[in-house]
Amino acid sequence: MSQPRAPRELRAFGLACAIGFAFPGLYLIWRNFTSKADPLGLLFTNQTLQPFWRTVRLAILVSISAACLGTALAWLTTRTDLPFRRLWRVVLPIPLVFPTFIGAAAFIRTLNPGGLANDFFGSIGINQTPELHGLFGAWLVLTLFCYPYVYLPVAARLRQLPGSLEQSALLLGDNVSQVFRHVVLRQISGSLTAGTLLVFLYTISDFGAVQLMRYDTLTRAIESNYLARPPMAFALSLILLLFAGVVVTAERSVNRRLPEVVTHRAHSAATYELGGWKTPAMLLVGGTFAFSTFAPIAALLDWAADGLLRTHRGGRPLTIDTGKVVEATANTLSSSVITGVVALVAIIPIAVLAGRYRDRIGRFTHSVVIATFAVPGILIALSLRFWTLRSGFLGDLLYDSMAILIFAYVVRFGSLAMGIALVAVKAVPSRLHDAAATLGADKWHRFRSVDLPAMRPGLLAAGGLVVLSTMKELPISLIVAPIGFPTLTTRIFGSFEEAFVAEAGIMALVLVSASALLSWILVLRRADHL
Amino acid sequence: MTKYLLPLLVAVSVLVSGCGSGDRLQIDGLAAEINSDECVDGTDAEVTIYSGRKENLIEPVLSAFRCATGINVEVRWGSSSQLALLIDEEGDRSPADVFLSQSPGPVGFLESKGLLGTISGDILGLVSEQNRSAKGNWVGFSGRKRVLVYNVDLVAEDELPASIFELTDEKWNGKIAIPGTNGSFMDWFTVFRDQYGTDVATKWLNDMVANGARYYPNNRSIVEAAGRGEIEMGLVNHYYNYQEVIAAGDDHRAKNHDLDDDDIGSLLIITAATVLDSAENSDEANELLTYLLSVPVQSYFTNQTLEYPLAAGVEPNAALPRLTALQIGSVDFDALGGGFDETARIIETSGIQNQ
Repeated sequence: MSQPRAPRELRAFGLACAIGFAFPGLYLIWRNFTSKADPLGLLFTNQTLQPFWRTVRLAILVSISAACLGTALAWLTTRTDLPFRRLWRVVLPIPLVFPTFIGAAAFIRTLNPGGLANDFFGSIGINQTPELHGLFGAWLVLTLFCYPYVYLPVAARLRQLPGSLEQSALLLGDNVSQVFRHVVLRQISGSLTAGTLLVFLYTISDFGAVQLMRYDTLTRAIESNYLARPPMAFALSLILLLFAGVVVTAERSVNRRLPEVVTHRAHSAATYELGGWKTPAMLLVGGTFAFSTFAPIAALLDWAADGLLRTHRGGRPLTIDTGKVVEATANTLSSSVITGVVALVAIIPIAVLAGRYRDRIGRFTHSVVIATFAVPGILIALSLRFWTLRSGFLGDLLYDSMAILIFAYVVRFGSLAMGIALVAVKAVPSRLHDAAATLGADKWHRFRSVDLPAMRPGLLAAGGLVVLSTMKELPISLIVAPIGFPTLTTRIFGSFEEAFVAEAGIMALVLVSASALLSWILVLRRADHL
Repeated sequence: MTKYLLPLLVAVSVLVSGCGSGDRLQIDGLAAEINSDECVDGTDAEVTIYSGRKENLIEPVLSAFRCATGINVEVRWGSSSQLALLIDEEGDRSPADVFLSQSPGPVGFLESKGLLGTISGDILGLVSEQNRSAKGNWVGFSGRKRVLVYNVDLVAEDELPASIFELTDEKWNGKIAIPGTNGSFMDWFTVFRDQYGTDVATKWLNDMVANGARYYPNNRSIVEAAGRGEIEMGLVNHYYNYQEVIAAGDDHRAKNHDLDDDDIGSLLIITAATVLDSAENSDEANELLTYLLSVPVQSYFTNQTLEYPLAAGVEPNAALPRLTALQIGSVDFDALGGGFDETARIIETSGIQNQ
């Protein structure tokens, strides 16, 4: 197979994206210089190494469990006769949308001692609830909130794979688990590693969940030093980013050795009958839903109901009204959907550059985009203020605009689409391409009629990840958004921080409903039409 | 059909978001209670606020201010420390005129960077000397008192301690929650060092760690955990338990306990207002600060948000424990800014965050 050279405009676009996505990293390096930080000196001290190893340990554990759980859920909901498959496909991505500061708090409220589950089971005579905290608590809550990073891309991939190989393997006497290991796992490995990498990077950058589970990681050390010891906060953030860079590079070298699997859209995917496995399968899927989605929602409902009842009985009125909720919902939906679209437009060319042409710029941009996921959101927000203030006329034009907000969101979450888009690009059969070229189709036409349809499920999953994550984003929404642009998450934060739990609960429920609606439209309905 | 859903959704949401806020000067609800007079006509004057104080706690005040003065108010909401970082990043090009902070730490940070302007002397005179900056850089506008929150089912009332120094006793082993890395705790600890000397404060914290004190990330999570009985007691400020009781009534099983009046554990932590050195609308900014310290607004803070008023002779709400002059009289909040990094170092070295 000949390796065509990438078109010049594509390489220029890739380079521009690399620069755009590198803003936060460059800012961080600059701030390390200006604040006379000493990341190297800090790296080998106990106060860095201890939280660093705790961070790594947690990230490895969460990655393993989220990879297993996400893959199992994807397989069960796409390739088996599991009951209520369509319903599961709508609700399984929902945990992505919980901002961890309230999601983890609601989880604790339901499941920890004295919480709702305790009350419920106490009434039927069971009175012991373990206290979720530390490594175990952080691992559990992050696994439950992060599995969609694996579930969405793997499910999209599974639905696209040809059933013929699996059927041949079955005919040749392999049992289902052998088929899974030898055939299916090989074919989904690209999506699986891309998703797992996101879980890993999310875990090392998470602050909300580890804080509430009282597990001390690097992000806590960063967070509590911003004001007190800025050089230390900047140095630790740089260490985190460099570590992410190492992990991303490692994943890429693993990924290059994985078999490449192209899409065969002509065949329909094989479906397995679960038979006696139906009950355990239902327990796994239902249990995941119960813990990851229903448990936090129960606490949110409890808070919301208390508040509504209180208002009804003439107690202190709620501090929000319908108008405020509608305004925040509209802002949340519009900004997140636009971000999803823009992110895909930015990411697809990079994926083509890196995946089809194996262009050096493409591969470099790919790494920059993904590693940026480990930069704390507040630093991305500050870096954009830093760059816009220093770009004169352009900065004035962009300041306080929607454009800069969307740009910030894309820089924050473009990584979520990157790996999946790369897998999707590589899956486009090159012989189809060659055939179309022989028939005289130009590049753009080939892209629309050959590439896009083949990449569609992967791209929808990628877009879905970006949209759901943007909906819950906090620091950028607070710092970069135009003044007077509240989102549901900023309003939830404002209410929850000051213990207005009823208001926070109501708006978090609206956020969950909005995400379910979007997941229904984006992920399910459109994918089913293929 | 599905094909059109997405663009439709975007279009509708853009439309709806466009008609978010109107410009007519009209207020209702709590804002109307603060300003019972007719609104003046709107003007072109405006003031931009970066507010670490959350919308729920101050939005009616800002509406009432706009109604009373005709000055338009633009607000960027956020957490106090992140907004302070933003102002530092923006420097003299910051659009902010006023910064409202939920605790003194972020104000001290901006003061150390030389980003705070001087507030007019008339305004400073409205609060007592202890609740304003000696240099005239900031003024307190409400306060939250440090207390010990406890679970009523797990701790008997007559056993409750009178001082934070009793908490290092074996009797309380593993039973005290500390929001070690939370902003207001770090502020409190800085004052503690200032009052008792760094050695005493450091020894106390290390003893607490040795006595199995448990780390929680913030006041809210401690009050919530105490309500469930996950933890017996915790060092927090008084505000959160009142909110939990309003939300859940008797189902919330925790109460505030006041330590001795002269104990450092009874310190009043103030929320502060500042005018930035780079403020373009400093007249309007000073007008806003005057308004925050007026009788109706101070009454609103104590009656609606259940905090301590600091000005205008307004009495604290009857539900709040009495505040003695001693608690706030002897504390130099200006010490907060400088000693902050040392506080962070001591707290981290104590290992409380791993408990």
